[in-house]
Amino acid sequence: MEGTAGLVFFTVTVAAVATLLILPPGVAVAYALARWDGPGKGLVETVLALPMVLPPTAVGLVLLELLARNGPLGRVLDAWGVEVVFTPKAVVLASAVMAFPLLVRSARSGFEEVDPRLVAVARTLGDTRARAFFRVTLPLAWRGVLVGALLAFSRALGEFGATVLVAGNIPGRTQTLSLAIFHRTQLGEDAEALRLAGVATLLAFVAVYATEVVTRRRGRRGRA
Amino acid sequence: MSLVLSLRLPLARFTLEVETRLSGASVAVLGRSGSGKTSLLEVLAGLRRGARGRVQVGGRVLLDSAAGVDVPPEARRMGYVPQDALLFPHLTAGQNVRFGERKGRPSRAEEAISLLELTPLLHRYPPTLSGGEKQRVALARALATDPALLLLDEPLAALDVALKERVLPYLLRVRDEAKVPMLYVTHQLGEARVLAHEALLLDEGRVRAVGLASEVLGTTARGLLASEGEGEENILEGTLERPEGGGLRLRVAEGLALWVPDALELSVGMRAAYAVPSEDVLLSMGPLSGVSARNVLMGTVAKVEPAASGEDAATVDVAGVSWVVRLTAASVRELGVVPGARVYLAVKTAACRRLR
Repeated sequence: MEGTAGLVFFTVTVAAVATLLILPPGVAVAYALARWDGPGKGLVETVLALPMVLPPTAVGLVLLELLARNGPLGRVLDAWGVEVVFTPKAVVLASAVMAFPLLVRSARSGFEEVDPRLVAVARTLGDTRARAFFRVTLPLAWRGVLVGALLAFSRALGEFGATVLVAGNIPGRTQTLSLAIFHRTQLGEDAEALRLAGVATLLAFVAVYATEVVTRRRGRRGRA
Repeated sequence: MSLVLSLRLPLARFTLEVETRLSGASVAVLGRSGSGKTSLLEVLAGLRRGARGRVQVGGRVLLDSAAGVDVPPEARRMGYVPQDALLFPHLTAGQNVRFGERKGRPSRAEEAISLLELTPLLHRYPPTLSGGEKQRVALARALATDPALLLLDEPLAALDVALKERVLPYLLRVRDEAKVPMLYVTHQLGEARVLAHEALLLDEGRVRAVGLASEVLGTTARGLLASEGEGEENILEGTLERPEGGGLRLRVAEGLALWVPDALELSVGMRAAYAVPSEDVLLSMGPLSGVSARNVLMGTVAKVEPAASGEDAATVDVAGVSWVVRLTAASVRELGVVPGARVYLAVKTAACRRLR
């Protein structure tokens, strides 16, 4: 039972850290996509959406190739003494990459709902571009950002394919709930696997329900 | 206050070209929809890229493309009031008004709140405000930043006639009591006459006429804006009747009937509407006799408000129907036209123009 608590704690922590990590770049990219309408926008959108539709194992493989000690990124990190592959850092990274498009998608629709003319008015009232973003745009789009963060967190909770490739499945080190379920079934411990699946269901329920609540409030406000 | 404009801005259908120097405290920019009025305002506010030339407000250069000067909107001190108010929906009316407040800079928020009578509205959120209230908050929000120039983009266009009449006096207060220079975009000749000292007439991006409002707002403006309609008229609706002895009369209400020009196609019992320009109604303090006007109506003054420069508009209640009458401020004083006064209105039959 203590093992389960540790597993839950690790899983939730990884998902939370991954979500917080992608929040600043995710919000920036979402805002840029909502406001910028230059050439190649479709291409950028497609690339950003790829992790959502690619097999997670393919994403994991790419990350592994990049970050392995002789990979292009791994070499740089190795020089600094940073090791990512098969460590908890890799779990966070895999979850972050897989969750990123979900955050961007929802945050972007939040930003798109903000009338750019409100920002123009804020600027005539003395706000710089940056100040207007924090005083007008973000407060009006925060629900979209929050929904995106909750979706990203939910996605990170259940991440498997990318994680198993780049972080392995090391009990007590890189093993999350979803990896542990797989591990137990491989060992033939179906009852234990089922119990863990129940725990995972509970976690997912809370996360998704929170998202629903926030989304519904946004709808109500939209009608007002 | 001086306003020097010398600019070119390519737009979708034409190039906006304005070359003028204005000195008035209150300038109306008139033109049909899509004549470049709003674009001009956005250039002044610094919200429109791509303008070439020079903009100088009260001696301060805001744009000089030749010298590479383009002051960003936040440093221009332009009080921008958009057509649809555009209040920040996540802030209360009070927070909206104080949005532009900064430490170490003068704020006119208190003055704006009292001038526009916003105290009872301050804690309310924009979706709960009426159109007229929103406009007043937007006006106060711009005024609170102590702007060098107020830029008003058809602030009354989104309001219905009754609300217009309620917001207009506030604009006059801002002009006369807060003494902030304003540039007022409109396609309503009536509003321009009431508010402006100077006028700029735009047509397809070109300046058609510019100068004193009293001169510019004559026939040229009337002709240019004819298709847009004008608001300063008394509109009366009722049923037509032909009393014994001849003639055609519009029965507006119990106790209010109006002789109107006869025409063959009109028959008894028809619903009809007529317009009577407010300047064509004669007001008298005593019973009228021996006047040529066939319609003499008895009523009570409901209110007297300043209208155009040197002119007042009196609202007179006649059998429950409101009439607007234009008077010079001098006659208002001399005659003693005050709310509650019993007055007589004379309207020539020929002044009644049939609308439908």
